Parts: sequence; structure tokens; C-alpha cells
Amino acid sequence: MTIEQQRQGLAFSGSGHPTDQESLRFRRVSSRMSTQIYHEPNSSTSLAQEEEQSGSEPTLELRNTVFPMALKKAARQVQQMQVPAQFNGGSWKQKRIKFVRQFKSNVREFLYFFSLWGKTLQKIGGRNLVYASKQPQRLRPRWQTLLSLTGNFGGGVQSYFIFLRFLVILNFVSFLLIAGFVLIPSIVFRSVGIKPESSKADVSSECLKYDPNPQGLVVFYEFFLDLLSGTGFMEYSYLFYGYYNNSVIVTSLVGSHFSYNIPLAYLLTAVFYFAFCLICIIVRMGKAARVAVTTGGSDVRSYSMIVFTGWDYGCLGSKATKLKQRNIYYRLQVDLEEERLKKHAASLTLCNKVTLHSLRVLMFFVAVGLIVATFLAIARATTFSQENSHVPGILGLFYTYLPSIVITLGNFLVPLLCDQIALLEKYPPSATVVVALLRAVVLRLVSLGILLFTLWKQIMCHDSRDKCNLCHYNHEDYQCWETSVGQEMYKLTLFDLLVSIALLVLVEFPRRMVVDHWSCKLTQWVGRQEFVVPSNVLGLVYGQTVVWTGALFCPLLPLINTVKFVILFYCKKITLFYNCRPALRTFRSTSSAIFFLAVLLFGWILALVVMIYSVAVIHPSFACGPFRSFFRMWKIVPESFSTLPEGARDFLFFIGSQAFSIPLFAISCVFMCYFIALASIYGKSVAMLRAQLKLAGQDKQFLVKQIEKMKPLSPQHNEGEQD
Amino acid sequence: MDLCFRSLKAQTWGINKPSSQRSSSTHIRLFYRYRDLAPQLVPLDYTNHPDVKLPYELIGSMPELKDNPFRQRIAEVFSEDGEGNMTLDNFLDMFSVLSEMAPRDLKAYYAFKIYDFNNDDFICKSDLEKTLNKLTRNELTEDEVKMVCEKVIDEADLDNDGRLSLEDFQHMINRAPDFLSTFHIRI
Repeated sequence: MTIEQQRQGLAFSGSGHPTDQESLRFRRVSSRMSTQIYHEPNSSTSLAQEEEQSGSEPTLELRNTVFPMALKKAARQVQQMQVPAQFNGGSWKQKRIKFVRQFKSNVREFLYFFSLWGKTLQKIGGRNLVYASKQPQRLRPRWQTLLSLTGNFGGGVQSYFIFLRFLVILNFVSFLLIAGFVLIPSIVFRSVGIKPESSKADVSSECLKYDPNPQGLVVFYEFFLDLLSGTGFMEYSYLFYGYYNNSVIVTSLVGSHFSYNIPLAYLLTAVFYFAFCLICIIVRMGKAARVAVTTGGSDVRSYSMIVFTGWDYGCLGSKATKLKQRNIYYRLQVDLEEERLKKHAASLTLCNKVTLHSLRVLMFFVAVGLIVATFLAIARATTFSQENSHVPGILGLFYTYLPSIVITLGNFLVPLLCDQIALLEKYPPSATVVVALLRAVVLRLVSLGILLFTLWKQIMCHDSRDKCNLCHYNHEDYQCWETSVGQEMYKLTLFDLLVSIALLVLVEFPRRMVVDHWSCKLTQWVGRQEFVVPSNVLGLVYGQTVVWTGALFCPLLPLINTVKFVILFYCKKITLFYNCRPALRTFRSTSSAIFFLAVLLFGWILALVVMIYSVAVIHPSFACGPFRSFFRMWKIVPESFSTLPEGARDFLFFIGSQAFSIPLFAISCVFMCYFIALASIYGKSVAMLRAQLKLAGQDKQFLVKQIEKMKPLSPQHNEGEQD
Repeated sequence: MDLCFRSLKAQTWGINKPSSQRSSSTHIRLFYRYRDLAPQLVPLDYTNHPDVKLPYELIGSMPELKDNPFRQRIAEVFSEDGEGNMTLDNFLDMFSVLSEMAPRDLKAYYAFKIYDFNNDDFICKSDLEKTLNKLTRNELTEDEVKMVCEKVIDEADLDNDGRLSLEDFQHMINRAPDFLSTFHIRI
């Protein structure tokens, strides 16, 4: 009924006398519209009732149709003339559905209003992120000036800032966790005046010595040096492990039992912190993977994507347009280059292939050699720094920061050299990018591992066995080894931030000023800076891994990291808008989100290994910290276990026993098989539907050919059909 | 002032829902933009449905469109006469399809029509070549253009007839995550 009237609407309100082609187009449109309108109500529960009762539904559908404006007006007039046939209590269902939808959209708008740095991220990406109904009008004047100044930077740069925002929130929430369970109880108990328990008597007094506070007069600049290296007044504070007590408070006041076990809280908070970070990473990875799967992988249909969706219609200004066109040209060139290289590689003679592969193997060994050389330098610098840590003054500060300096230099120079090596290797462009990224990741994370390994060697005295005989760790150099490790991580974090700010002030701003105001060949060649996404992201991952490694030894490190990342966000934003030109080579944002999270997961695993090793293998310090009276850090768990009430203890034993874990394992295997089967079925159905589409297209072609064949046979029949 | 316009709009576009109040202010804003292009041609009073068409040159000189290499095709697709001369209805249609509220299928349909230079309801090789040249300012060589066109048809053509129909195009657009955000003009 409505569709017939819409067809009539086509007839009387079309514009003048439509040509043959136009009428054909309208007919095709109307046939498509009829199928669309038939399909849409089928998806909802009751068709005709819903369409007639809620006046919004058909108008919503009409807005989605492709009729010109005049036709839509006519169709709507016709609809409004119809009297609703039935009006009963079924409208409650629609009202509820409408209310839920409205509520969800209101909540989404409200949350978006509060989202951290939402406007900045919009400006950077040049696009609205999630929900944009109210934002554009308010932003309009500022937006246009910004776009005319800079042009948007694209999805790759935006994904860096989104990743940074995720890390800020993760660190802040982890800090709240640690503050709630460890920091605040410690502060409360210390202020109440509860003293730490002394450790067991069967250990020599040598091991119990710990004097972190400096003796005698202190030079005034020592304050500043201590702030930077975590020694002196900062060492014996809430910042580091050594300050926390091993108090196990059990009070039984009138009518209430209050007990708080600080060592247990410390250990469990650390474990939950790791688990929480893992869950956050996995959830985000799941979301990104879902997007990647629905778009079927970014490389599969790259040409058609670039041609049809590459152009940004919101691009304003001739400069931005030219830049966008060059960008598209460059992307197509990259893909064409890959094709050409593939064809070239296929046409190589055997001799050429052998030389190419042997050159690649040689260059691989050169790169590995460079990376190993960096590792040796880091190990040597760490040993040197630990040996000379008691030198006073600025030189002492330099020695304490030596490992950080060497790591930063290595992470800067070695990728540059590897880029030069990559020119000789002649991989296709996509493989070059992947290889460079892998090398950079290995360099960054394994260099941190080397630093930790060197520290561990020193603490467990691998070189001089006699130092560790008394206290099971090197008590002469490290009276409180956990605090030393925490200090090392603190120094790494601080140095990272200082280097970023120094680079911004000393390198990026001057470069831009020189390039802008002094035009000669050299400055033209160097040009303004580009915001290189992969190396910046690896810097973030490195910083986060340092924090994870140090969280057990320096509980306030997540807070310091939150502040550091917030400062970094604003610094990078300033440098992006003032110093950088929009990049010619864009970084693919869909696959990059998964890549960033995978590298972050790799860093998490490294930090987990360190934590497990510290908790399970190394003897805690006798002189400081919450675990001073335990053989190993994890021993606190069995001990507090024994204080649990009988019922809870039996329940936990049951969970740990085989009677529970084997059925649990079997059930989880069943679930996993179910999900694997479901995934394979979806994949098969997608392939089947695609084949069906192909067949439908072929059927259509066949039918068109048949019609063409039958046309000359019966002209009168066809004239009747065309009316 | 534009009370007549407001009342006319109230009849036709429906003001039952709260969201349409926002859209009615957008419509009024768009009407003023339309009028600013040629104040002497466009009357303030639309109750008698005056037949006013602005020529393509004025539409193409709008700041949102003037640097867009596809502006001519956009104007042709949305205009009634197919030449780019737009009435107010066509103008509103154009910006409503290119706004962020328009659904994906609608945008895909009009994008298809924009890229279909010869209006034969298929994107054939010559259409693709023209699209590519507009996208890259004629900087690709002939061979490169041919190679890219072949690749595009290979990737997107499902029914193997050597050209892209609307279904092929829509199927490909469904796989593009950022189509909705790139096919969008802010006004």
C-alpha cells in the first residue's frame, strides 16, 4: 500500500518530463527501494503495526532512501494522510525501544563530552572520533583556522595519541589501586605509630644494617641531585620499597575485628596490578582485532580502498588538497613499486638470486652485530655505574645516569644505521617497514632486559662469590637491593622525560625556526620535521615496560608515569602543531593498533618475568621492606593462609586440588573447541556468501543476455513492458 | 523574516521528534548559505515554491567545495537537470547526504553516482581512469594508471563483467572502516 502510493508519487511529482534514462533510473531506484523497505521491517518484530504507530519509524526509513527531496516530501505527505489502523498496547514496546535508544545515545554523548582530550584528538585526526552530533557546530570557527594552518595529520598520528591516552588512564587507575591498598594503610599505620617487627634472630647483624639517610652535613645542591637519582632524602620515603613496614596488624577492639596484613597486601596488589593491565590490553586488542577482521585485513584490497575511500571530502584549502593528492599519489606509488619489485624478483636469474640472498644474510648479521654491540655497551655501562655510584657531585650524577644515557644513545643511533643497511637489502617496501620495526622493538626491550640482567648479576654476585655468603645477596653494595632496582627504574623514567623535553626545546623548535626563516639548499633538503609514529610508539612502550618492571620496587612509579605521560602528551601536541609538517607517508592505522598492543604485551611479559624472578628466587633484604622476615617474598601467602578460618581454607584447598582443576580444565577445553568451531563456521559462511554473490551476478548477466536476445524477436511485447 | 520558510519546513519535514529541532536549525543555516551565494536571485519567502536554480559556477565557488576535484560531479549528481544547477532542495539533499548523520548505504549510493562519470550505472575503466587522474592531479603515467585500474577491477568486481556495479561498490565500501568519515563535508 505505501509502496504503491510512493510509486504514484514518483509519477506526479517528478520534475517535468523525465528522459528515458532518468525514468529507468527512477524505476531501478524504486525497485531497490521496495526491496529495501521490505527488508527493513522484516528485521524488526511486527511489521505493519510498528510502521504505522510510531510516526518516527517510516520517516526515519524515508530519510535513508535515495529519493530526491521533492519525492520525499510528497511521500511523507502521503504517509501523514494515512490514519493509523490499530492503536493498542503494543505501543508500549515501541516506546520502550525508543526510550532505550534515546537513553543510550544521550549517555554516549555525555560520556564523549567527558572523554579525556577528545577535542585535541579530533583536531589531530581531522575527523570526529565517535559521536559528533553536537561537537562540530561549537568547534567550527577554531576548526577552520586550524585546518587552514596545518591540515590534518591522519589516522596514524591520531592512533599514537589514542594509545598515549590509553596508557595515561591505565597508569592512573593502577596508581589508585596501589594507593588504596598499600600506600594509604602504610601512611595510616605509620602515623599511628606502629613499629616494624624485627626479623628472625638467626641472622648476623651485618645483614640488618641499613642507613639510607646521609650522615653529617649535606651540601645544598645534594637536594637537587637526590631528587634526580632517588637517593638521600628520597630513598627512605614512600617512593621506594624500603620504607614500607612488615606490620601485620591484628586488633580486636570492642565488637570488631580489624586486621590488615601489609606484606600480603603489597604482594597481592602487585599481582593484581599485572593482571589488571593484562586484561586491559587484551580487551583493547580484542576490539582492534574485531575491526581488523570485519575489514578483512588492510592489505587485501588496498588499491580499491585508496581510490574510492582515499579522498577526504572535508579537506579545505588548496594547500591541504594538494597535500592530500600527493599523499594518494605516494600511496599508489608504494603499491605499484611493490608490484614492480615482485615482477622483477620473479624474473631474476639464479645467479642474481643467490647474490641477493647472500647479501641479505650478510646484512642481517651486520645488524645483529650492531645490536649485540649495543647490549655489551649497556652491560659495561651498568657495571661501571654500579661500581662508581658513591662518587659525589655532578660527576656522580653522570655516573648514575650512565646506563640510561647509553640506552638512549643506542636506541637513537642503531635504527639510523639499520635504515642505511635496509637500503642495501632491497626488500619490498612493506617488508622493509616490518623488518625495521622488529629490529627497533628487539633493540629497545632487550636492552632493558640486559640492564636488569646486569643488575641481577651484581646483586647475586656472580663475579665474586664471597660477598653473598652471609646474607644470600650482595649486602655490602646493596643494603636494600629492592630499593636500588627501584631507583634504577626511577632514573630511567626520569631520564626519558628529560630527554623528550630537551629534544623539544633544543632540537625541534630551532629546526623549525631555521627552516622557516633561512632558505638555502641545506634547509630545504632537511625540511621541517615529520612526526614519525613507530619510533614514538616504541618510546611509549619502553616507558611503560620500565614502569611495570619497577612497580614492585617503587610503588609510586605509576603516579610518576601518569604525570610524565600527561606532560609528554602536551609536549608532543605542541611539537606536532608547531613544528611538524603533515607527513607524506602515512602509517596505516587499522593494523597499527594491534601492532602497538602486541609490542606492549611483549613488554608486559618481560616485566612479568622480572617480577616472578624477584618474588620466587631472590632472598628479600633483611634490613628493609615488608618482606624482611621471609625466606622468599611469596612465603607470605602460605603463612597468611594458615590464619584463615577453616571453611575458607578448605574451599581454597579444594580449588587447588585435582578434583576441581581437572574438570575445570576439561570444561574450558570444551568451550575452546566450541569457539573454534564457531569461528570456522563463520569463516566458511562468509566464503559461501561471497560465492553466492558471484553466482547472483553471473545469473544477472545471463538473464540480461537472454533479454537482449529476445528483444528483436518480440518488439510489441517489449513496448508494453516498458510502460 | 523567514517565518514563512519555518512554517513550510514544519509541514514538510515534521517537527514531532526533538532531534528535528536541531535539524531545523541546520536547515535554516543551510538556507542562509544558499541565499548568500546569490542574494538577488533567492527570495526569503519560499511558500509559493519559487523555481530558483543557482548556476553551477556559484555552487562550485563555495569554500567547502572549491578545492574538491570532484565538485563538478557532486553538483551534477545532486542537481535535477544533471548539469550542476541546483535548487534549494538539491542543495539541502547534497549536504544532508554528505553530513555525518547519513547512513552508510545512502552515502555509498551517491558516492557510486559521483564516480560514475558517464552515468551508465556502472563504473567502467574510463570512469576509473578519470577518477584516478582527478585524485592524483594527472601525475601518474599512462602505464601506472592502466595498472591501477586493472587492479581495482580485479579486487572489487565480483560478477566478472569487467566493470563495477552498485552491488560490487557497496560490498567493497562495507569493508572500508573510514568511508563514513572521509565522505563527509562539514558545513
